[in-house]
Amino acid sequence: MNQVLSSLGFGIVTASILLPAAIGFTLQFSATNVLNIGFGSQMTLAAFIGYVCTSHGVGLWYALLLAGVFGGVTSLLLNRFLLTPFMRRGTTFFGMIVITIALSLVLEYTIEAIWGPQSVFYPLSTGGTVHLGSMSFTGEQLVIIGIGVALALATHALLRYTRTGKAMRAVAGNAPLARASGVPAQRIVDLAWMLSGFMGGAAGVMLGISLSSVSFTMGDTLLVEIIAAAVLGGVGQVYGAMLGSVVIGVLLEESAIVLSGAYAPISAFAVLIIVLLIRPTGLFAGTAKAKGVAA
Amino acid sequence: MSYYFTVMAMYILIGIIAAWGLNLQFGETGVLNFAYVLFVAAGAYTTAVLTLGHPSASGTQQYFWGAHLPFPIPWIVSMAVGAVLGVAVGLVSLRRLRGDYQAMVMLVVSLIATYLVSANVGFLNGETGLALIPQPFGNLHLSELNYRWFFVAVTAVVTLLVFEVMRRITGSPLGRVLRAVRENEAAAVALGTNVVKMRLLTMAVGGAVAALSGAIEVQFIGAWAPAGWTYPETFGLFAAVLVGGRGNLGGVALGAFLVQGLFLEGTVLLPSIGNPDLVGAVQWITMGVMIMLFMWFRPRGVLPERRRRFTTEARTRLPLLLVRAQRDARG
Repeated sequence: MNQVLSSLGFGIVTASILLPAAIGFTLQFSATNVLNIGFGSQMTLAAFIGYVCTSHGVGLWYALLLAGVFGGVTSLLLNRFLLTPFMRRGTTFFGMIVITIALSLVLEYTIEAIWGPQSVFYPLSTGGTVHLGSMSFTGEQLVIIGIGVALALATHALLRYTRTGKAMRAVAGNAPLARASGVPAQRIVDLAWMLSGFMGGAAGVMLGISLSSVSFTMGDTLLVEIIAAAVLGGVGQVYGAMLGSVVIGVLLEESAIVLSGAYAPISAFAVLIIVLLIRPTGLFAGTAKAKGVAA
Repeated sequence: MSYYFTVMAMYILIGIIAAWGLNLQFGETGVLNFAYVLFVAAGAYTTAVLTLGHPSASGTQQYFWGAHLPFPIPWIVSMAVGAVLGVAVGLVSLRRLRGDYQAMVMLVVSLIATYLVSANVGFLNGETGLALIPQPFGNLHLSELNYRWFFVAVTAVVTLLVFEVMRRITGSPLGRVLRAVRENEAAAVALGTNVVKMRLLTMAVGGAVAALSGAIEVQFIGAWAPAGWTYPETFGLFAAVLVGGRGNLGGVALGAFLVQGLFLEGTVLLPSIGNPDLVGAVQWITMGVMIMLFMWFRPRGVLPERRRRFTTEARTRLPLLLVRAQRDARG
C-alpha cells in the first residue's frame, strides 16, 4: 500500500508534466487539424534552450519561462512559415504528417549536432524533501506540480471565460464559419500555436528538471505518452487531454511497481492500443467524430 | 576497393527491395506505414535466430529461441513473419482511423518496438543486438571476394523477382483498386471495394518484402541491433520513395539508389570531419530538409508516376467511374 502511495506521488509529478504537453498537442490539432509529430522534438529543443540559460547562470525557473517563450515563438514561426504554406498549397493530411516528421528529424538531429548525443544536466538544488503521508516530494517537484496545474487552470479560464477563448473554440469547431462570423481566424490560429509551443516548451523543461537531465531523443518517448494521453481523452479535446494526462501519468508510475522500471512506458502504449481497439474516438468523442478522424 | 563495391551494391539492392515494399503501401495504396523499419527488423531477427542455432550454443548472446536451418528457409520464414506482423499492426491501426491518425499510431508502434527489444535482453540480446550470424553460402568454398560477389548476384536475382511481383501487382486490376483506395477512398468504397481489406493486403505483402530485405541484410553483414532500426530509418526509405517518384517502380529504384546508396552509405567514403556523430546527424538533417524540399517543389518525385492508359472499353470503365465519382464528391 505504501508503495502504491509513493508511486502515486511520482505519478502526480509525471501527470503534471504531461498536462501542458498534451494540452499543447491537442490545441495545435484542434486549431489547424494537423497532427504535429514534431511536437516532441520542439519540446526537446526548448528543454535544451532551458539548459543553455541555466548554464549561463539564469535561475532554473526563469530558464523555464524563457524556454517556454522560445517554444511559443518557434511554434508560431513553424506554423506560419512551414506548415501553413504547405496547407495552402493543398498538401493532404498524408503530406502534412510527412512534413511534420521531416521537421522532427531536422530538429532532433540539429540538437544532436549542436549538443552531442550525451545527456546534459540541469543544476538542481539538493534541498530536503517534503513528506505527505508516504509520498515524498522534492521542492522542485512541488513547483512542477504547481506549474502543471496552473497551466491547466489557465487554459480552462482562457477557453471558458474570455472572448479570445471563445474565438479559439469557434475556430476549432468550424473555421470557415468562425471566419464568416468575423473571427480573425489566422490570428487565433497563431495564438493557439504560440500557446501550445509555450506549453510544450515549459513541459520540456519540467521533464528535464524531473529527470535532472535532457538528451536529444527525449522527445520520442515523451511523444508516445503525449499521444496516448491525447488519444485517451479524445484527440482535439482539451479537457479530454487533461483527463488523459492524469490517467497516463499516474498509470505510468503505478505500473512501474508491477512491471520492472524499464517496462513502465509500455503501459502507456497498452492504453493506446486498447483505446484504439475499443473506442478510437477517445473518452470525449466530439472532435474526433466531427473531424472524421475516427469512427 | 572492390570489397567496398560489394558492400555498396548490397546496400543499394537491399534498399531497392525495401523501397519497393514501402512503395506498394505508401506509393500505390496511400498507407503511411511509419513502422516500416519494424518489418525489416522482424525479418532480420527471424533470419538471425533461425541460423544462429540454439541459444546455449552461442556463448554470451541471449535470445529466446534458435534453430539452425539451411539457406532459403530462414528467408521464407522471415517473409511469413513480416506478413503476419503486417496484418497484426494493420488490424490495430488501420481499421477505424483517418490516414494521418493511422500514421501516428504506426510511429508509436515503431518507437515502442525499439524500446521493448532494447529493454528486454533475454528476448533478442537487448541493445547489444545479435552478432556472428552465419553466412548462407558457406559450403560453396569460394574465396572471400568471390563469395561476396556471389551474394550480390543472388540478391540481384531476388531483386528481379521482387520487381516482377511488384510489376504484376501494380499492373493488374488489383493495382488499379489499390490506386483507387489512395486517390479517393469514398469513391472506392462506393464501388464496392473493401478498403480495409486492401490496406491489410498491402500491409501483408509490403511487410513480407520488408522482412525479406532485412533477412538478406542481416546475413550479409552478420549482425543486427536496435540502433540499426530506429524510426528515422523508415524515413530514409520514405525519402527514397518520395525523391524517386511514388508509384513508379523505376523511379523508386532510382530514389533508393540515390538515398540509400549514395547518400546514406556513400558518405562512408568521405574523409571524416570532426566527431563521428556529426556526420550522421548532418545526414539526417539533410534528409529531413530534402523531404520538405521535394514535397514543396516536386511532390511527385524525379520520375513521376506514369499516367496509365487503357485500351479497351471494358478496361476504361472502372477508372472512368472513379473519375466521375471524384468529380461528384468535389462538386
